[in-house]
Amino acid sequence: MKQFLFKPYSWAIIFSVLLTGATTYVLLDTFVIPKSIVKVIVDTTVNTEADTDAPSTEDSESAQILTDTSYQDDNIKINITTEKADDTTVYIADISITDISYLKTALANDTYGRNIKEATSEIAENNQAIFAINGDFYGFRDYGYVLRNGTLYRDTAGAAEDLVIDNTGDFSILDESETSTDSLNLSSIWQILSFGPALVKEGNVVVDNTSEVSRSMSSNPRTAIGMISPLHYVIIVSDGRTEESTGLSLLELADLFTKQGCIEAYNLDGGGSSTMYFNGKVVNIPTDGRTFGEREVSDIVYIGY
Amino acid sequence: MSILDTRMDDNKYRYGKTVIVFLLFSAFAFAVNKVYSLFGHGVKSDAMTWMFLYPLILGGLFYLLIGFLLPGMICFTGYRLFYNLYNSGIAVFTIGSLLKGIFEIAGTSSPYLKLFFMTGYVMIGAGVLIFVILILNYKRSTPKELTK
Repeated sequence: MKQFLFKPYSWAIIFSVLLTGATTYVLLDTFVIPKSIVKVIVDTTVNTEADTDAPSTEDSESAQILTDTSYQDDNIKINITTEKADDTTVYIADISITDISYLKTALANDTYGRNIKEATSEIAENNQAIFAINGDFYGFRDYGYVLRNGTLYRDTAGAAEDLVIDNTGDFSILDESETSTDSLNLSSIWQILSFGPALVKEGNVVVDNTSEVSRSMSSNPRTAIGMISPLHYVIIVSDGRTEESTGLSLLELADLFTKQGCIEAYNLDGGGSSTMYFNGKVVNIPTDGRTFGEREVSDIVYIGY
Repeated sequence: MSILDTRMDDNKYRYGKTVIVFLLFSAFAFAVNKVYSLFGHGVKSDAMTWMFLYPLILGGLFYLLIGFLLPGMICFTGYRLFYNLYNSGIAVFTIGSLLKGIFEIAGTSSPYLKLFFMTGYVMIGAGVLIFVILILNYKRSTPKELTK
């Protein structure tokens, strides 16, 4: 054996096989092998003082008015417009709800874990969503706070700015590197999304021409959510990476939110993940720049009962 | 030309072959980064951009220097162990950087990545240790021993 190892090329052959095997395993572990950690127990009760006033599903969906681009009932009002901005097709959803419990998140296969993925439209259909967008793709990373529908799944801090949606429907931004989950009043928080960066804070655009997500450059498909006032939101999804629609920079995206009157806005996972779903159909044209179609993601943000 | 001179020329040829292999490896790493960046939508990673430096500096440049300065070392017992460990360390560093770059561009991470770099450090460290021992022996060696 000793002689074999010291022969020219013997070591190289064995080592190459080991290195190739290790590399393949790490790539599969990171991108492919699903790891379930927690099965989600669906409980969308919001811990607010107004709980007793929160509408039940029995009185929901009453007197629906539904068109190709809008939905309205007693509790939810959604209006989607499509416009061209900065050589990009932009889908803008104006959403008003009467209670924050109608702004929900859902995880692929109702499971918290890594590499557990479904298309946005699939997750939306499984949850009877009226309207949905892709979320922050938490399952692609091992860090970043994950608090969904009031349940904390991950408290490992990264370096991201997070969007915090409290039980009154108010938006705020926290910096994970400065704020631990222990210092938060978690019972008052309905959702934490970890991607970023923040686009608009207190009415001011907080990104500039040089701002970028570490993994996303200037013109791209984008998904972002903004708040005009608590329970009145704007969600923007842009197409990109095509000749017809180049995509938006973060600054262009932030400007769109301020034009809509948003005082807070936050960037979510974009690129090939960017998807807007409404009433059983995908509204935008998702693409990763090479092929068209929805990318499977870990989670969605949706409006529904 | 003496036997010693012939032997030294043969050693330099063997070092030259190693240098060329590392230069090709470095060029390949450089090309991989360029090709990968075509599909990265402008996203770049320093780890992937500079991974070609491992085989270039730790490999090509290093063997070029010892080929000129210590050509007889290749004949020493222990050189093969150093050679295997050191070169494997360079390969692990380069592949580790490639993986780091892929993960950074994709926006993800892996807990196993640090194992690659730890393994690389251990292999290069062990290789360098053996190399230092070889240098000490080299200084004590006679020309006759270098032609063995």
